[in-house]
Amino acid sequence: MWATNLRIIGVVLGTLALYTLIANKIPQVQSDVPRALTLGANVTPEQLVSAGDQLYHGAGGCTACHGLGTRAPNLLTDEKGQGPIGARCGKREAGKDCKAYLHESLANPRAYVVPSYEPIMPEMGRILSPQQLWALVAFLESNGGTVDVSASDIPAASAASGANSGAAGAPTAPGIAGGSTDPMTIIRGAGCTGCHKINGEGGAIGPDLNHVGSRLSANLIRESILNPDAKIAKGFEKFKGIMPKTFGNQLTAAQLEALVQFLASHK
Amino acid sequence: MVDALHLLQAAADTTGAYRDFPLIGSRAAVWIAAEIHLMFAAFVLGVPIFAVVAEAIGVFGKDQRYDRLAKEFTRLLLIAYSATALWGATFTFLLATLYPKFFAYLLSIFAPSIWVYGAIFFFESFTLYLYYYGWDRWKYGRAKIVHWCLGILLNIWGTIVMFIADSWLTYMMTPPRDITPETSPASIKIWHAILNHTWMPINIHRLIGNVVFGGAIVGAYASYRFLASRTDEERAHYDWMGYVGNFIAMSALIVLPFAGYWLGREIYQYDQSLGITMMGGFMSWLWVIQAFLIAVLFLAGNYYLWVGMGRIPGAERYRPYTKWLLVVLVLGALVWGTPHTMIADSRELAAMGGSHHPLLGALGVMSAKNTAVNLMILATFLSFLLYRRANIRQVVPWAKTGTRIQAAMFVIAAAIVLFFGIRGYFVEAIVRIGYSVYQVGAVLACIIFVTLIDVLMARGAQSLGAIQWGKMPPRSQYALFILAVTFTWLMGLMGFARSGIRQHWHVYGVLQDTTPYAATPALGYAAIMISTCVLIFLSLVGFIFWLGGLAEKSTFVPSTVEAPHVGH
Repeated sequence: MWATNLRIIGVVLGTLALYTLIANKIPQVQSDVPRALTLGANVTPEQLVSAGDQLYHGAGGCTACHGLGTRAPNLLTDEKGQGPIGARCGKREAGKDCKAYLHESLANPRAYVVPSYEPIMPEMGRILSPQQLWALVAFLESNGGTVDVSASDIPAASAASGANSGAAGAPTAPGIAGGSTDPMTIIRGAGCTGCHKINGEGGAIGPDLNHVGSRLSANLIRESILNPDAKIAKGFEKFKGIMPKTFGNQLTAAQLEALVQFLASHK
Repeated sequence: MVDALHLLQAAADTTGAYRDFPLIGSRAAVWIAAEIHLMFAAFVLGVPIFAVVAEAIGVFGKDQRYDRLAKEFTRLLLIAYSATALWGATFTFLLATLYPKFFAYLLSIFAPSIWVYGAIFFFESFTLYLYYYGWDRWKYGRAKIVHWCLGILLNIWGTIVMFIADSWLTYMMTPPRDITPETSPASIKIWHAILNHTWMPINIHRLIGNVVFGGAIVGAYASYRFLASRTDEERAHYDWMGYVGNFIAMSALIVLPFAGYWLGREIYQYDQSLGITMMGGFMSWLWVIQAFLIAVLFLAGNYYLWVGMGRIPGAERYRPYTKWLLVVLVLGALVWGTPHTMIADSRELAAMGGSHHPLLGALGVMSAKNTAVNLMILATFLSFLLYRRANIRQVVPWAKTGTRIQAAMFVIAAAIVLFFGIRGYFVEAIVRIGYSVYQVGAVLACIIFVTLIDVLMARGAQSLGAIQWGKMPPRSQYALFILAVTFTWLMGLMGFARSGIRQHWHVYGVLQDTTPYAATPALGYAAIMISTCVLIFLSLVGFIFWLGGLAEKSTFVPSTVEAPHVGH
């Protein structure tokens, strides 16, 4: 009977191993959380295009339909002899320039549906932030056309500009990275990886954060973010004073706590 | 002072939002508990459906073997029931402690339904105890009918429990459109939340899926007992039981895709982006894996039938056909598994030379896939038909004509499937989608009318010899194990697809997941999780079935009456 039992176990384990192996051999595509964009008042067209490029090929999910030729128009390559989207966007709707047309196509895609296609595109404003929408517009314009999206088009950038110039009543952006509570988004948005290394990203000016949870308690991590000079890690004394002391004012309460818990879990 | 206020605000904002689980993380912990609970739940909801049908065949057909079979099914149920409750409680505790704010959100909408769920769970438990322990007491006459009604009542309670639980998970997937992130959960009417887009399609899909799953697990149980049998009589009983389990699983499996189409259509109607994420977005490769698994199910199911024909006198007449059936199944599986619309960036598209692979693009389209799967269903049905009539010779005067009509029906159905499959390449997509209805309709009509003719033709048929139950090579039993593992794995995979299309949302478009685990993992990670869950589930099932064997002897009864085919 033992031989039979072993054979049964072998069949079960072999079947499971086969399915697991096949699923691991095919291309691995993860659905990432869309990253919040922080676009300052001095954002350049190149920065916008680069951010839009990442969204288009990543979290925006645009390539699921655009570029396949049947579900939605090709945007980056020629479409029926009209060139890529940047070359044809200004001629789609009478009275709408390229920028206005592309923004409408993202925010309200059913307002104008290209003939011979179905109205299947979701309203991207439900999925992406206004900054992300404008970054996509800039990227699409850059494909065959001229990028004319500027900081004044982008709500958060305009607001930040007003705040910096001291305009009365100008709203302030809700924390770093558009108020996102995704720890890695905050870390990137706050520029932590300019000095610290975590999850394979970042520099070596400040202490490596990959195992910070094993060195510091959550309270000490919180203190180090709010008051970085209170206690300097051994070996980094010469860098005292470099880390900004403004994060207590820049981060929202929820962001700060999300960041602390995230770092404390890195043991 | 400002810092202190920040800290206080942080504590107020985030305390209790999430907690993490040691080592594996909160997502993996909840994933495992939910999946294993679901597997046990599917088993304890599916088995009563065919236990009550088997009991009815026993009562109204006056065949004691079916009655004893129903009792043995129910004995498995009894043991699996407590495991379902234990994993359900574990899942609830994990959700409440690791995702307390999200749990509180669901509670504030669905609290009354949770009380009803608990109450019906009690009724279901006591009905099950009455049903099983009253089996031998209420055995004859009117008492037996009352006992059978208890079985029906058990199914009603179980179905209500499942429908309630389905409302929670479908709300997470497709909350009504007027509910936004700003909507206070306390202001949402419970019926409004329950009657969401995917509630009823999921209910129906799971109802059928549970029968498939229950049949497969019973088949695996029977095959284990077959391999462990010491006497010919015991071996014959479990051979028959394995056949019945496999028959139930495969029959219900043929209907399952239609419920799946309905569910898919509702998802698209609710939100195109959900549908696209599922079918053409980051999950597109998942359907290639699904096609592979279903190909394994078709091949293993047919293989079991073909090997089983070795124990049927007269079946040798049909043996030459099996190799052609195998060719149809293998070719169909290859076409069905051909990738079509994969998520690809512009660089990959350029490398491929276009939006589709030049050769495989033609086979990966819907027309080819629908044609392939419909021909595979026809081939499987033909296998079953040959098995069914293997040991009989029809004596009705119109037997030859009847057989010719049956053959013509197969040819016509296959021709319709092929015609619309080829024509689909030359029409618009919206017309092509409609063609699948004609293809499915032709196959279903063929199955129904050919079966009807076969039943009528079998009246008074001459037997070529009794089926030699138990005279089955052990390798056939391993096919039943592969079927059970594959069905279980497929359930885990489809659960990942259903849940994963929400992506980084607890409640799609309403309540965002802000944990470090918010990203939806790739298929490789998901496969490891699914395999882990399947392994834990099957290990526990093996253990509790072994315990059941210790507690009570098998209920098989030696019989001198020949056990019939299902459907005879």
